[in-house]
Amino acid sequence: MVNYTRHPSSFKDPAGFVFEYGGQVYRQVNQYYARQFEHLINSGLYEQLTQRGELIPHQQIDSNLTQSKEWYTTLLPEPVDYISYPYEWCFEQLRDAAQLTLGMVRTAVQHSMILKDATPFNVQFHKGKPVFIDTLSFDLYNPKQPWIAYRQFCQSFLFPLYLEHYLKTDIQKILSSYIDGIPVDFIARLLPLKSRLSLGVWLHVYLQQTANGSQKPGKAAETRFSRKKLMDLVSHLTNIIQHFPAERIYNSTWSNYYEDTILSQEYLREKENIVRQFCAATKSKTVLDLGANDGHFSKLFAGYGMQVVATDADSRCIARLYQEVKKNKITNILPLILDIANPSPAIGFQNRERAAFHERIQTGLVAALALIHHLVIGRNISLPALAEYFNNIAPELIIEFVPKEDEKVQQMLATRPDTFPDYTETAFEKYFSKYFHIAGKQTVTGTPRVLYHMKRKKAI
Amino acid sequence: MECILLYIDPGSGSYLVQVIIAAILGALFYFKNLWWKIKAFFFRPKKEESEGEDSVNG
Repeated sequence: MVNYTRHPSSFKDPAGFVFEYGGQVYRQVNQYYARQFEHLINSGLYEQLTQRGELIPHQQIDSNLTQSKEWYTTLLPEPVDYISYPYEWCFEQLRDAAQLTLGMVRTAVQHSMILKDATPFNVQFHKGKPVFIDTLSFDLYNPKQPWIAYRQFCQSFLFPLYLEHYLKTDIQKILSSYIDGIPVDFIARLLPLKSRLSLGVWLHVYLQQTANGSQKPGKAAETRFSRKKLMDLVSHLTNIIQHFPAERIYNSTWSNYYEDTILSQEYLREKENIVRQFCAATKSKTVLDLGANDGHFSKLFAGYGMQVVATDADSRCIARLYQEVKKNKITNILPLILDIANPSPAIGFQNRERAAFHERIQTGLVAALALIHHLVIGRNISLPALAEYFNNIAPELIIEFVPKEDEKVQQMLATRPDTFPDYTETAFEKYFSKYFHIAGKQTVTGTPRVLYHMKRKKAI
Repeated sequence: MECILLYIDPGSGSYLVQVIIAAILGALFYFKNLWWKIKAFFFRPKKEESEGEDSVNG
């Protein structure tokens, strides 16, 4: 009996697969890929990419853990703390992942190799930077062949970026529907007329759409390609992606939340003091910050050496935080877009290829600061339902209760009937006490807001 | 001929379109270079007049 679990998303590539064994994640290399793997190592490509931090480093283990006949070797890659997916990334994260992928094609070609696939699922944010995780994506390069992953690159990187750039709206929800990227016919119909003035759009979208439609089935195209042509293509793609405006407009409903609050400075300082006391009382090394906004408290948690996943439903907040993380080289904050009322679902074959958000991202501590009034009053999620939700995801919880008397809640209630008679501090404590012990409770001085530190009663 | 692993479908028209795009880009880059050369040819005398200064724009 061999005790390993093959990762459900790892079924497409005959070169090998990812599996879990004894609590660690391994990657098996099959004999099928032996020649390519040896070339990757011996050509110096692996060394160059890992030294630059572009490819995840691994330890080679000469043990057939899965006891399979196809086995060639086993790799133990450096573990990535949290797996995130493109539909949780902001524009800038997807752009950086695209740049990384194109850069890898360039470097690979210098070593007579090429990327045989180009999907954002092969890129993960690790220690604050995008890193390529699929060591088996490199194939031997044949200059006569065009880039096999070109269409995949367009669908899963270029088209989403184009859409967000031209439509000026979030497209993450679309990405979670199209696991293989946005089809060319779809984007061609969505892009505005003015996009036709761009050479890039014209070539990679409209020309590709026409070519796809005109190709006769069953007849392989006579192709003559060269290394120079490939490099021209890659340069052009790089150029397009580089030239999307660097500074995007960050004013959205939430992006100036703290700046706009009159009480802000005093309230923040007070709240910070309380959260610091709670942090001192926790042993957790990981935290999920829900409704992180500009990441003020994510940075506080990070200061305690915790691994932070900072989430917000507003992509502009996440973009701003990501740029800060990048600029200041913060290695322990991962900013992700998450709508708590509709988190990323499980998608793909058998709904098992890409796990749902909370299945994938589990932390010892969950922080929900200035959040629950938005869920209860804004999204009509009842307090008992919220208590159950937090019980499912949080062994420990730092949560802020914002009562009806609060100015922000009053604003929210001004435009809707008050159908929330149960929204009180007493009821909040009652429902949450069903699942949690209250380890700490403090009122933020000068406001009616209350902060709680809770611990789950029993493990689930 | 190298046998390329085709576990992802490159799309029936994807190879063809790359050939076309590469041809267009090749031509564009060619003319761009030519343009730079022409520019360099005409602007060089001016640069030489200002002795000692590096000609950056070429």
